[in-house]
Amino acid sequence: MSLLPSCRDVSKMLSEALDSGRPLGLHARIHLSICAVCRRVLAQFSLIRHGASRAPETGPALSDGAKSRIKALLK
Amino acid sequence: MTEPATWVDAYGDRLFRYALSRVRDGGSAEDLIQDTFVTALKSRDRFKGDSSELTWMTGILRNKIFEYYRRQAKETPLRPLDEESGSEQDFFDGRHWSVAAAPRDWGGEPAKSAESAEFAAALRRCLDALTEKVAGAFILREMEGVAADEVAGALGVPPGHLAVLLYRARMRLRSCLEKNHFAPEGA
Repeated sequence: MSLLPSCRDVSKMLSEALDSGRPLGLHARIHLSICAVCRRVLAQFSLIRHGASRAPETGPALSDGAKSRIKALLK
Repeated sequence: MTEPATWVDAYGDRLFRYALSRVRDGGSAEDLIQDTFVTALKSRDRFKGDSSELTWMTGILRNKIFEYYRRQAKETPLRPLDEESGSEQDFFDGRHWSVAAAPRDWGGEPAKSAESAEFAAALRRCLDALTEKVAGAFILREMEGVAADEVAGALGVPPGHLAVLLYRARMRLRSCLEKNHFAPEGA
């Protein structure tokens, strides 16, 4: 039985650390040092956070009907 | 401050796209925009000109989005965690990543790609696949930058439950964005 946390445990710890801003514990850091897949997940979680907060707003414009309705309310 | 009659043409589309990237349907986004403009009209005496009108109205809209998720949470009974976008079982085989679900290399310039309009569209589609509460947790925490305790309060869940919702959101979004944006199969 391994003393190190599993990939499943580490993926949870990565999410919690990202959220709390607290550093990872020693066992999780050792796991990361030998597990390329979990290192990749850490990078990808961070990238999703980066993109979610910076990605440009896309999509359709406000409909003409809604514009007319709101304009009437603002008169 | 500019005339309220000009606000819809000046800011309507940008505010609508902001709302649409954070709530699931166009009707709700339209309602949020309408509420935002009405609130701005009622409180325009409080606009000091320290920021642009668009920034000020975006602040009002962000409060409306927070309230939207608070209302949604009150109307939706708290479900067992296992019913919220499934569990992480799909991704693991015992202690390790399953071969099929193991994260792949996203190659290229993923940081640049994560700021593109294509990423934003893929993120929206992937958020649509999550349950309302899991998506709401991610949107409020990661896209709106609301403090964790405030998000937990708005969603009516204990802090530990919020951590699980955010973990599920990250795992599902990671997998969905990999398939649909960063590393689609056959690419």
